[in-house]
Amino acid sequence: MSITLDQLTKHYGGVPVVNDVSLDIGDGEFFVLLGPSGSGKSTLLRAIAGLSAVDHGRIALHGRDVTHVAARKRGVGLVFQNYALFRHMTVAENIEFALRVRHMRARDRRARRQELLRLVSLEGMDNRLPAQLSGGQQQRVAVARALAHKPEVLLLDEPFGALDAKIREELRRTIRQVQRELGITTVLVTHDQDEAFAMADRIGIMNLGRLLEMGAPHDLYSRPATRFVATFLGAANLILARRTPDGIQVGATTVAAAERATGGRENEVVAVVRPEEIEVAARREDLSSGYLARAVVDEVVFTGALERLRLRLEEPAQAPRLAFGDGEANAALQVTRTQHEQRGFEVRPGQQVAVGVRRVHVLPTPLSSFTACAPGTQLAERLSQQALLAELAARMKTRIATRVEPQLGLPEARCQGEDTFVGTTVIAAYPDAAQRAEWLLRRGARDLLVLPDEARAPQRVLIHWIGEASRSATLAVSASLLRHVPAEAVYVGIFPAQDPGAAASQGMRELLDARSEAQAAHGLEMRTELHFGEAEEELARRLAESPAQMLIVGVSHLTDFARRFRTLLEGGRWPVLIVHRGTP
Amino acid sequence: MSFRQPSILPGFGLTLGFTTFFLSTIVLLPLAALVLAGTSMHWSDFVGTVFSARALGSYRLSFGASLLAATINLVFGFIIAWTLTRYDFPGRKLVDALIDMPFALPTAVSGIALTTVFAQNGWIGRYLEPLGIKVAYTWLGVTLALTLISMPFAVRAVQPALLEVQRELEEAAETLGAGRLTVFRRIILPIILPALLTGFTLAFARAVGEYGSVIFISGNLPMKTEITPLLIVIHLEQFDYQGAAALGLVMLAISFVVLLAINLLQAWGRREQVRVMR
Repeated sequence: MSITLDQLTKHYGGVPVVNDVSLDIGDGEFFVLLGPSGSGKSTLLRAIAGLSAVDHGRIALHGRDVTHVAARKRGVGLVFQNYALFRHMTVAENIEFALRVRHMRARDRRARRQELLRLVSLEGMDNRLPAQLSGGQQQRVAVARALAHKPEVLLLDEPFGALDAKIREELRRTIRQVQRELGITTVLVTHDQDEAFAMADRIGIMNLGRLLEMGAPHDLYSRPATRFVATFLGAANLILARRTPDGIQVGATTVAAAERATGGRENEVVAVVRPEEIEVAARREDLSSGYLARAVVDEVVFTGALERLRLRLEEPAQAPRLAFGDGEANAALQVTRTQHEQRGFEVRPGQQVAVGVRRVHVLPTPLSSFTACAPGTQLAERLSQQALLAELAARMKTRIATRVEPQLGLPEARCQGEDTFVGTTVIAAYPDAAQRAEWLLRRGARDLLVLPDEARAPQRVLIHWIGEASRSATLAVSASLLRHVPAEAVYVGIFPAQDPGAAASQGMRELLDARSEAQAAHGLEMRTELHFGEAEEELARRLAESPAQMLIVGVSHLTDFARRFRTLLEGGRWPVLIVHRGTP
Repeated sequence: MSFRQPSILPGFGLTLGFTTFFLSTIVLLPLAALVLAGTSMHWSDFVGTVFSARALGSYRLSFGASLLAATINLVFGFIIAWTLTRYDFPGRKLVDALIDMPFALPTAVSGIALTTVFAQNGWIGRYLEPLGIKVAYTWLGVTLALTLISMPFAVRAVQPALLEVQRELEEAAETLGAGRLTVFRRIILPIILPALLTGFTLAFARAVGEYGSVIFISGNLPMKTEITPLLIVIHLEQFDYQGAAALGLVMLAISFVVLLAINLLQAWGRREQVRVMR
């Protein structure tokens, strides 16, 4: 491996800007780090270059640990967005800088310089000053300069940001060509997905300091695992669908899918439908794909090769629910159509059409939507506007529904609303929250968030499960939540206090197992802690230690639930997400 | 080439006229008067005044101490500016404001303050005395006073240039294998050199013209610690206006030569830099 990052973490003022990033980049690979501004991608690149120290973790270049090695001894070449050419030196001086500080002889320097100038097609420009060159030429010089000392790794930090479209394209080609010719391992940082698609062997997508997903461009585009990647990499319609034993039910259609409901249970999932996978026709019978709903054309935009439509779904009661947007009002489907499709069926704003879906991809995320549940309408409304809940829903691009259960918590009472619970149910942390939680869990709620009114976005999320049955679900829920929250994940292992010696060694093994499972199956990097004592007590004590923490706890049985969880659910300002799998 | 460059901005005639008028009344006219007064003397009187042993001694002190003060400020002014631009520490703003204090203080006050501290029985002077170092009433005191009052010029000239040195340039040099010293010598210094020279020039010019703070700490011994501006005042007090003007003329001439030399050096440096690169 050329570049190996192991659990790299960096904080600025308590907030992790690079959060537990582990990554292997192979020899000669062109790797693109893609993410919005502030996602930590540039910081990560600077950490690899040695220009910014990390708080935690390890960096190795070609197997050599360089975590604490100075930038000038790492043997990397770095190209900056603003070129960072030495303006008081000529092109030749700039390129030879690295060779001169290495005391290379003038003749060898000149030969190497000529070679590099040929590589970036700037022959004969030796004696120009940077100010006499165009932006594109300056960046070529910067690339040549970064390659002069034959670095093992080339790092490019938004190198095309300051250039206009034509030159950008040209320089992209040059860099890709140079990279192939030299076979040098390259990492490019960008926020431009076109650039990533055009250049990358592999793309890694970052958000909130985490490396969310990585893979070949095509795989990431067609099979994203997270909402963020689905919507950041190209446009996507997120639709709340139902996973049934027959397949994925989107609106009126059931699409056969690889991931069927297990154990005969139906549950809510988030389906990704790309704009180009949607078909429109005059009538339902004219569709060649599965019927989704009827819709009205809101907007038609011509963009050259493609036509973009915005469709408003009709008959909201039967139509599939869009996850994106929080009201029916802005529930619009995005559609793109080719020239060929446009010729087949022309549409105008205001026209009624039938909508079909060609292909659906289901996100593996277990957190589909939120339902604020309370005994009264007003209480439910208020809960649905709680700051943290609103923030989570906005970040996850999902919606918050409300559900009124007048007899919430009364032991023998039955559910008022429909019998099934979809997505994550949310209740307020009232004094009898533990009893209400048990009531809901016993009636089928699987993921339950107990939310104190003053809860804010956590900086640390503690993870624990009681009983193995809920283990993988807890990890999946944690991974899904942590992709949307800039917090560090800590797995808290708790073992009986009776025999610390034996328990400790077994405990360590379990901690490591949990960690590697989280990483392998869910891409979740987490820190681990070991405690001894009663699980519920230890968790409450740990949560009380510092503010801005959250707990995700898995439970496998509900025996004596209300009593066991009273302190945890009613005792503090921390939100608790209960993941229930197993027996009632 | 036409005299007036066509420009989109209006008001060229007005502003140029105002500039000429302003410079004439405020700068050129008084200088011309000085030259006139100085040269209206008889030639032998002029030479006698200007090349008297006392006058020569005062030139040596005035220009020697000023050059020394400007050199000290070149080094320490740079260090202060570096500290203020590169590091963030509690009280940075306060220190930054403190730099300008010598600007605002009446120079006589600075002189009295320095004398209090460095006189033989002063706070610091009393500890230097046993070591055989006399500051007050020696050329050392003069240099000290000139350093104090010209320090802000050096700092303020370098500060913006240092802010302009992009961190990326240093980082680029670092990734290319340069050590800290190389980065400073090859990257930072060339960029801030013009500003350093400007700071030096300003500090020197300010020091040469200084009068108020020096007369308190120098002791004003003829030939030893008497600066030229003081000698001029002494001539004035004896109603020898022409003698004073003659000395002023010499100061003017030397200052002009020194400043011109520094400016030429700077221009040559820029050209040379470009030439050497080719």
